[in-house]
Amino acid sequence: MLKPHLTRDSAEQYILGALSPEASAALEAHTLECEPCARLLQEEAVLSEQLQEVAQSFPREDRVIRPARWHVRRAAAGAVGAALAAAASLALVLLPGGRAPHPSGVAGRATTTAALELEMGAPRAIVVACPDLATQDSCMQAAEERGLLVQYPWGTGEVPRYEARTGLPEGALSARHPVSL
Amino acid sequence: MSAAVQGLRMTLRMPREAEEPVEAEVARQGDEDTLARRALAGDRAAWDALVARHHRRVVVSLLARGVRVDRAHELAQETWARLIQQQQRGLLTELRLPNLALTQAAFLAADDARRSRRESISGAVEELPERQHPVDPSVSAERRLLSEEQLSRAHAALAQVSPSARTVFLLACDGQELPHAEVASRVGLSVQRVRQILCEVRKKLRSALEEETHA
Ligand SMILES: [Zn+2]
Repeated sequence: MLKPHLTRDSAEQYILGALSPEASAALEAHTLECEPCARLLQEEAVLSEQLQEVAQSFPREDRVIRPARWHVRRAAAGAVGAALAAAASLALVLLPGGRAPHPSGVAGRATTTAALELEMGAPRAIVVACPDLATQDSCMQAAEERGLLVQYPWGTGEVPRYEARTGLPEGALSARHPVSL
Repeated sequence: MSAAVQGLRMTLRMPREAEEPVEAEVARQGDEDTLARRALAGDRAAWDALVARHHRRVVVSLLARGVRVDRAHELAQETWARLIQQQQRGLLTELRLPNLALTQAAFLAADDARRSRRESISGAVEELPERQHPVDPSVSAERRLLSEEQLSRAHAALAQVSPSARTVFLLACDGQELPHAEVASRVGLSVQRVRQILCEVRKKLRSALEEETHA
């Protein structure tokens, strides 16, 4: 069959859901017969997934910022200083809106506001959402052992959760361990 | 590795600037919450709405793993079927989308790949191309798609696009799968313009991600 090869644009439009059903079907059919075009489509899909990661790790004002970022690679801050400065300026503006520290905070809370600002300004970290304050300690420790960071709820597709500590029934379906039926 | 372990810090909620009132954000999450709750209670219409919202993302995630497009559609359907089945058996106590669906889909894809690998071995067929072997989901669940450097470059590039373009991009890609029409109505643009912006931002970020790092 001689349907036209994909272009970056058409693959992109397909991924965005901007193509008509007919055009989508034609594009799909073509990728089944043409390996290079299947690869192109895969590349665009990979980029889409990467962009989700970029968007979800971009520092944002309206999010609940969960505790600590571990393993913050301050070394990197120098290398990409200008970049960070640009991103930091976005986040820092909003700091005055922050609330007073939560009373149940633990070790390390003595961190200064300046340090907090610095961290918030550093855009990075695919991280873990801890369920609540009660289990936060163990959750954070577990996360740290895996080299993960902690993130706001409504996290990303790549973020595991820690339901084990929330008392779910045995065999409950978890985001971390898909169930085989 | 500068493993400066930071202590537990407070939870901060930041007000958001201009474009999107906090109420809208709350309403959106409330909407998603309500749908998830209804779905957990077995409401089929709620499931339909959630599937409609998240299906594309599931398919794209499978394509990214190198699954053929026809199989990607099948596996995405299978993903939803399994989640609904789990809910009916009372095994689903929380429904966080798209995470749960993405993980389930990754699992199915890996299962699929294992099976076809076995078949190709027993049938003495030539080795399948690499792109048909998705990674093990137990690994990929924590897989970082991007390096720190790539993320930094992408964030820097994103910080440089216009605020409205950034808003559009973040709304469309924040994982909640807001339909483009919804994004458009929030920012007061046409759907076509929203997609145009998405493509522009995508191009910028693509080159930011592809940039070679010279140490
Ligand atoms: Zn082709």
